[in-house]
Amino acid sequence: MKYQTQKIAYWYFLAAMILFAVQVSGGLIAGWIYVQPNFLSELMPFNIIRMLHTNSLVVWLLLGFFGAAYFLIPEEAEREIHSPMIAYLQLIILLVGTLGVVVTYVFNLFHGNWFLGMEGREFIEQPVWVKVGIVVAALMFLYNVTMTVLKGRKTAITNVLLLGLWGLALLFLFAFYNPENLALDKMFWWYIVHLWVEGTWELVMASILAYLMLKMTGVDREIIEKWLYIIVATALFSGILGTGHHYYWIGTPGYWQWIGSIFSSLEVIPFFAMMAFSFVMVWKGKRDHPNKAALLWALGASTVAFFGAGVWGFLHTLHGVNYYTHGTQITAAHGHLAFFGAYVSMNLAIFSYAFPILRGRDPYNQVLNMVSFWLMTGGMAFMTFVLTFAGTVQTHMQRVLGENFMDVQEGLGLFYLMRWGSGAAVVIGALLFIYAQLAPRREVISQGTGEEA
Amino acid sequence: MTQSALTRAFLTLLALSIGTTLLTELRPQAGMGFVALVLLLAGLKARVILMDYLGLRLAPMWQRGFNAFLVVFLLTGLGLYLAG
Amino acid sequence: MNQSPAPVPAMAEQDHPLDSLPGDLMIWVLIVSELLVFGAGLLAFLGVRIADPVAFAQDQDSLNRVAGAVNTIVLISSGYLAARAVHSPNKMRLWLSGSMVLGLVFLVVKWFEYTAKAELGIGIETSQFFTFYYLLTGFHAMHVVAGLVIFALIMRWPNPRNLEGAAMFWHMVDLVWVLLFPIIYLVR
Ligand code: HEM
Ligand code: HEM
Ligand SMILES: [Fe+2]
Repeated sequence: MKYQTQKIAYWYFLAAMILFAVQVSGGLIAGWIYVQPNFLSELMPFNIIRMLHTNSLVVWLLLGFFGAAYFLIPEEAEREIHSPMIAYLQLIILLVGTLGVVVTYVFNLFHGNWFLGMEGREFIEQPVWVKVGIVVAALMFLYNVTMTVLKGRKTAITNVLLLGLWGLALLFLFAFYNPENLALDKMFWWYIVHLWVEGTWELVMASILAYLMLKMTGVDREIIEKWLYIIVATALFSGILGTGHHYYWIGTPGYWQWIGSIFSSLEVIPFFAMMAFSFVMVWKGKRDHPNKAALLWALGASTVAFFGAGVWGFLHTLHGVNYYTHGTQITAAHGHLAFFGAYVSMNLAIFSYAFPILRGRDPYNQVLNMVSFWLMTGGMAFMTFVLTFAGTVQTHMQRVLGENFMDVQEGLGLFYLMRWGSGAAVVIGALLFIYAQLAPRREVISQGTGEEA
Repeated sequence: MTQSALTRAFLTLLALSIGTTLLTELRPQAGMGFVALVLLLAGLKARVILMDYLGLRLAPMWQRGFNAFLVVFLLTGLGLYLAG
Repeated sequence: MNQSPAPVPAMAEQDHPLDSLPGDLMIWVLIVSELLVFGAGLLAFLGVRIADPVAFAQDQDSLNRVAGAVNTIVLISSGYLAARAVHSPNKMRLWLSGSMVLGLVFLVVKWFEYTAKAELGIGIETSQFFTFYYLLTGFHAMHVVAGLVIFALIMRWPNPRNLEGAAMFWHMVDLVWVLLFPIIYLVR
């Protein structure tokens, strides 16, 4: 560790990993309810578990991004983080907010209260007081990292990272506007959800990927920056108006069907570019970095993101297709593989890279980490195929033949069982990953003994 | 790029545009031959802009790539027109 | 941190194909992106036309083809003046003002076309044809406006590199128009 304040990242990553475990376990319970619909229905209904699953996902990914920023900014800016105190305070606020969210959901406290109760908008259901806390924490964070960068060296990597982080924080402000009109509600909701994952988060992902490539392949910074700029430009060009692919059927004017179809189709380009980038860099770079696990995750992230976001996204993004698939299991398949590939895997890549450094050890437990990669990635890929199959059957029976929703669901039982099985593999992989990061064993891979990535 | 080359490019564009206008005046009732010609003229205009205004004449590899794009685009357009 | 692999002299890339592109790489990323968007939009237009060519031809007849042809000449002339501005540093302002005036003429003509349609009660939801007409020409016109704003900034703070980029943006706007005009206004 070159800079003392990089240590801040350790605590963010730790908190993120704990929530990661909660998130996938929540998914597993939700998946079981699909198999056994009455499971836990008295204690904790499906909608609450689903909410925990999706919200803890967003929170831990954000914690991971914050941690990544605290980890890589000192090295890029060549100076310590402006104020470690603010950074820790920020983490505490976020954790208290998360706890508040969980307690409010689980016990359904303050139902209907505008300030203390939940809001029921997927991904941003937090009670208003937590949202305020999030904004305060985000402001502290932005102040802290921006000060650090302003006083230090400015690189393309930190510029893009800050652009993404500022963007995602500003977009979150739309969470405070919750119009009564359902069409308007949805319209603004997508400003956050879509412009996050297909805009600002993409910048964060690209910047972390560029940092990892810089460190692990030893390719010239100049070349890496060129790629980074192309990725960022194409992501913003396509992603902003690509929001239109959510405006097909919610009461927005018809021309959105064309704007959405055309621009969102181009969203494939930045994801393809990220995949090409990572492979070209590894192929060109001659450095044989010992942290094979981090490299595996980085390559895996850009590849799975291309399939999950790019291929599975394109699959249902043209309005002629989306007319049939909207809101079916196809959407769930895409949502899982895209989130997993782009944001989960990229977070796990930077964790894998940073942990050995933060803990002052050689890369350790590489094999376990790599096994967890294959368990999780394999599980997710299988889950995606199963859900895509289920979604195709559902689309045909429900949307083409016009059968009743619940009757169709009856017929999908086997798929849901298989989804649960692949989900279990993901959960085991996740626990294994966490163990591999934390367990103190030393285990350096020497040439020839370890499995190659 | 020299000024005379620029001016030549401009005059070519002008001639092609006037060609399109004349064609429209002569054959207002359209048809396959008309559309094919109009698309051809459009492609030639686009080519001049790419080569001379945008300077791709100096980068032959890229010039080939953009030309290929134009050809594919215009042929697809013609095909779609004929299908209707 | 005791993991310091031997630093490798990173790849020197003299003859990378991207380096052979004239001008700024980012402008080319933009040009390609715009070509893809307008190209897809125009092909979608022709694709949707297949379902009802007669209605498309009828709607097209209400367009002002002369205005479109005039605007083609206006834009290519404007592009010529912008290119001259790049190549004559000491008369840059003169050429660029000429280019901007023609850009404004384009917008005025476009304005008359739009208001004439509005008076007939024609809007973006009137028919499939007009949805595409307004989306594509409107999106293009927004680029003309953006180009004029960029030129104005260059006039205020001249800089050869930025001027070159701005002129390339302007040529891209030209390029889109010469493809858009015949397909929307003439193909039938
Ligand atoms: C890192 C891994 C995971 C990620 C990134 C993830 C992400 C998501 C997302 C984004 C949604 C909302 C989807 C939508 O709105 O369409 C969701 C819902 C869900 N997830 Fe996961 N998830 C993960 C792991 C799991 C696991 C292991 C299971 C276990 C089977 C699971 C089961 C579910 C279920 C049942 C739903 C609700 C679907 C519905 O309402 O129809 N997830 N997940
Ligand atoms: C990493 C990037 C991405 C992530 C994390 C992601 C995630 C998601 C999620 C969770 C949903 C479900 C939202 C809901 O209704 O609750 C969704 C919907 C959708 N996504 Fe993505 N996505 C990504 C990229 C893309 C891309 C690149 C495309 C297009 C090429 C795309 C196309 C769509 C479409 C069309 C829908 C709406 C599905 C429907 O109508 O039900 N996504 N995405
Ligand atoms: Fe989206």
